Amino acid sequence: MQESRVYLKEMATGQLVEASLLDEITDRHLAMWIDTWQPVMEERCRGRKPGDRPEDHHWDWKLKADGWRPLLGYHSFAITCNGELQGLMLACDFKSARIPAQFGKPIVHVEFLATAPWNRPEFQTPKRYSGAGTVMVAAAVELSWQLGYRGRIGLHSLGDAEEFYRDKCGMTELGNDAAYQGLMYYEMTEKKAEYFRQTH
Amino acid sequence: MKLERSKDWYERRIALEGNAEIGAGMPPHCRANAAEAANVKPLETRIAFGTFVELWRRNHGWDAVRLAKEAGLNTEEILEIERNPQSEPEPSAVYNLARLFKLPSQVLLELAGLIEPRTPYLRDAAVRFAARSESMASLNQNEREAFEAFVSAISEIPQRR
Repeated sequence: MQESRVYLKEMATGQLVEASLLDEITDRHLAMWIDTWQPVMEERCRGRKPGDRPEDHHWDWKLKADGWRPLLGYHSFAITCNGELQGLMLACDFKSARIPAQFGKPIVHVEFLATAPWNRPEFQTPKRYSGAGTVMVAAAVELSWQLGYRGRIGLHSLGDAEEFYRDKCGMTELGNDAAYQGLMYYEMTEKKAEYFRQTH
Repeated sequence: MKLERSKDWYERRIALEGNAEIGAGMPPHCRANAAEAANVKPLETRIAFGTFVELWRRNHGWDAVRLAKEAGLNTEEILEIERNPQSEPEPSAVYNLARLFKLPSQVLLELAGLIEPRTPYLRDAAVRFAARSESMASLNQNEREAFEAFVSAISEIPQRR
């Protein structure tokens, strides 16, 4: 289990603040999710029709953790900042690329990615911290790189994030995926991943 | 895995993220479109699902408030499930009920119209069950038999992953 120092932007001050990325969702993270994240989500859902609730409100990270922990090929990540949980991600390393240029090659596929409710404009504007999504995409690309996949990643975007993946991360839009209930599928090529990883 | 980027990298990249909401995975909202695309008509089985939930509750002498509490749901969700087959229940609600009822969640999800029909005879069993069950103050013998037969039938369906 390794910890990386990363940065998030505190939107109230516009300043970058130090945060921690851990390459494993631990029991401590799950406890934080139960104590702080889930109640906000439940409060948000109360009295709202299913279509008006956050897209990921039904994700039970504790249940997911129990499911993926014994399995090979799954990788989980958590971001904390100022003692609070800021984002969670689950990825797997056994799926294949669909873009013709890299068709059939292994990719890291982001199974689930969510930022804390307070880091979403749906809950508060501006969100408390910006950058949790960026850090998670960077983590997926880095994992892919370290596995020898040269940065190739794929994911199925939630509706509000499509522009981010397509226009900000440079991922290729491959259309609605019937196997994933019509979600838009995106893939990052090796070339785009290299550009994304560039440090300045 | 170690992620090493410069502070400048974060500054530049996070500026691109801005105030956007970022997520990836499987939301529940897409199910309706998927069901439509697959030409799934969940209404018949969902009527049976709602009836089943109601009869299970009454068979235990519980009101909707008690069932909601035991299943970790809102009372409104229970009433919606029992009385409005047009309304699509949440998968988490169906999972919770399956856990409480000690029944296979996949079958209840199928009954609730949340996944594609996989069990050919489930629809017929559900329709027969719904047809035999009438809303009454307490279960009569016929209802009890129908209820128990249906519990037995869906308990014996092999689970698929």
